[in-house]
Amino acid sequence: MVESIQQLMSGFGIAATLMNLLYCLLGAVAGTMVGILPGLGPIAGIALLIPVTFGLNPTSAIIMLCGIYYGAMYGGSTTSILLNVPGETASVITCIDGYQMARKGRAGPALAICAIGSFTAGTLGIFGMVFLAPPLAQAALAFGPPEYFSLMICGFIVLSNVTGGSLIKSLMMAVIGLIIGAVGLDPVTGEYRFTFDTTYLLSGIEFVAVAIGLFGIAEVLANVDQPLDQLEQSVIVPRFRDLYPSLQDLKQSIGAMLRGAGIGFGVGLIPGPAPVIATYASYMTEKRISKHPDAFGTGVIEGVAGPEAANNAACQSAFIPLFVLGIPFAPPTAILLGALMIHGVVPGPMMISEHPDVFWGVIASMYIGNFILLLLNLPFVPFFASILRIPKKVLLPLVMLFCLTGMYTVNNSVNDIWLMLLMGALGYLMRKRAYDAAPLLLALVIGPKMEVAFRQSLMLSHGNFGVFFERPVSLTFLLATVLFLALPALRFIIRTLGAGARNEGGAG
Amino acid sequence: MRRDELIEGAVLFLCGGVTVVLSLRMPIGTFRMAGSGLFPLCLGIILMLLALLYLANLLLQRDAKGHPGQTAGPAPRAAGQMLLFFGASALGVLGLNILGYPLTAFLLMLLLLRILGIRRPVLLVALPLLAAAGSYLLFVQFLKIPLPKGLIGL
Repeated sequence: MVESIQQLMSGFGIAATLMNLLYCLLGAVAGTMVGILPGLGPIAGIALLIPVTFGLNPTSAIIMLCGIYYGAMYGGSTTSILLNVPGETASVITCIDGYQMARKGRAGPALAICAIGSFTAGTLGIFGMVFLAPPLAQAALAFGPPEYFSLMICGFIVLSNVTGGSLIKSLMMAVIGLIIGAVGLDPVTGEYRFTFDTTYLLSGIEFVAVAIGLFGIAEVLANVDQPLDQLEQSVIVPRFRDLYPSLQDLKQSIGAMLRGAGIGFGVGLIPGPAPVIATYASYMTEKRISKHPDAFGTGVIEGVAGPEAANNAACQSAFIPLFVLGIPFAPPTAILLGALMIHGVVPGPMMISEHPDVFWGVIASMYIGNFILLLLNLPFVPFFASILRIPKKVLLPLVMLFCLTGMYTVNNSVNDIWLMLLMGALGYLMRKRAYDAAPLLLALVIGPKMEVAFRQSLMLSHGNFGVFFERPVSLTFLLATVLFLALPALRFIIRTLGAGARNEGGAG
Repeated sequence: MRRDELIEGAVLFLCGGVTVVLSLRMPIGTFRMAGSGLFPLCLGIILMLLALLYLANLLLQRDAKGHPGQTAGPAPRAAGQMLLFFGASALGVLGLNILGYPLTAFLLMLLLLRILGIRRPVLLVALPLLAAAGSYLLFVQFLKIPLPKGLIGL
């Protein structure tokens, strides 16, 4: 313990050098810009900027790339709140209440709470990384395919409950997402599926195209289908004196931030798209424990604070399996693994002893980076919120242009743009028919991992489905799934019985 | 019960059915040693079951009047505006490899702004020019990402 603190202090010494501070600042700023631009999420942002770090020493390079990562996560939340366009999947949930807050003229408090929530989570996360990393990493390592599969099933059900619409519709969207995720190479046998003899589909459906299509393009189209006069009237112009959060906002948010940080940190250690699951789990928790659960989805600040803290904490703790085990559990950390290898650092159990400067320097820089983001973003809240002052007649074409350009830059492929437009049209129709796109997107991302876990579990058990129920952790996730599935029905029964009892009482 | 909801349910059921049929063309294997078609086959069946459940739910709610979660369709004129906007965007994608990025971005912005009712000539020229130049500088000059140059090499 004492040794960990000493090493962390030396890490702060490394991260606080002038050059490393500069690279951290550059990374955070570049990441925020990348996150704000639709189509350029943390994955593309990190990948694009790896060549920029070639001339730097490994510690400075990784500090800068990590800065891009959490800067992009913050920037993604900004577009979620201001434009209802999630910069990356983890920000999807922020759209639900964040955008509603913006529509009510409360974009500023939502953005500020995002920054404060991220910083709070970062502060708690660093303590978690130093003191809890070894035992928690062990626990995550003990997860086998059945636990992984059950966890993802649980995630889907949580998500389907979160969206607030029809559970059956959400589940159908999740299944469609899984089917789309099955397009391309079979992750186990290497055979091609649903490619229809086209080379474009061999590598599967491009997730970024689906994400921008379903959320960005669909949102633009949903706005454009309003008559011109309404388009003009619906411009949101927040007042500057309303931009900062009130004491009441902070009071309402602090509990959600702390809970979100805890959830995010725990989920971040688990294989899979941790920030995505963490944000949904945090949102669901806030909704469940809230005194006004029905208000969620209408612009509740806890619906922004909790998921944002969870997002940041999950991003931070996702570095534990990457650094300690050498296993990336999410695409951004996979890219960072590549960057580490390029710079001659091999993550794994020996990393702490072989490259203590990189390990502790990067951990300390995350805290510094979060502080920089807080310092940068709070004063710039009015600047970000001012995007809403641009008339929609101008903003919508601009968003469309950035979506088209951003999509092209991911793979330099015009086919990706066509796919994005197709998904945009689908997303627009889904929106009109009250189908939620979030389960589809989540399913698309974790579908291949889910399939691998499912098939590996059955291989291990020689085709026996009991493997999912015999292992305690897997069983716990499945019981939680059943509970989440049963909750709406239970709530309905309790309400019906309560109403019946009240009627009888009234009649008596 | 609404006719369009029934159609939705039927379309989703059909999607599940198509997935099942396509999956059956792939090796299914056994649960112990699953083939590449097993997982999508399971998904297709689950989708069909969920769609059936959705349809059954609709049939049980015959007296229900509409669905609160659904939004009304756009006015015909606004729908036309949306289709024009979408069509112009698709046209822009078509022009990308022919005209190159800067020119396509300029023309696309001009077209989209015009569709949304911007009429002042100054704005119609200045905004697309700024957007095209700004995005070109950001992606090509700052982020070093190559964008299509087109046949005229712009």
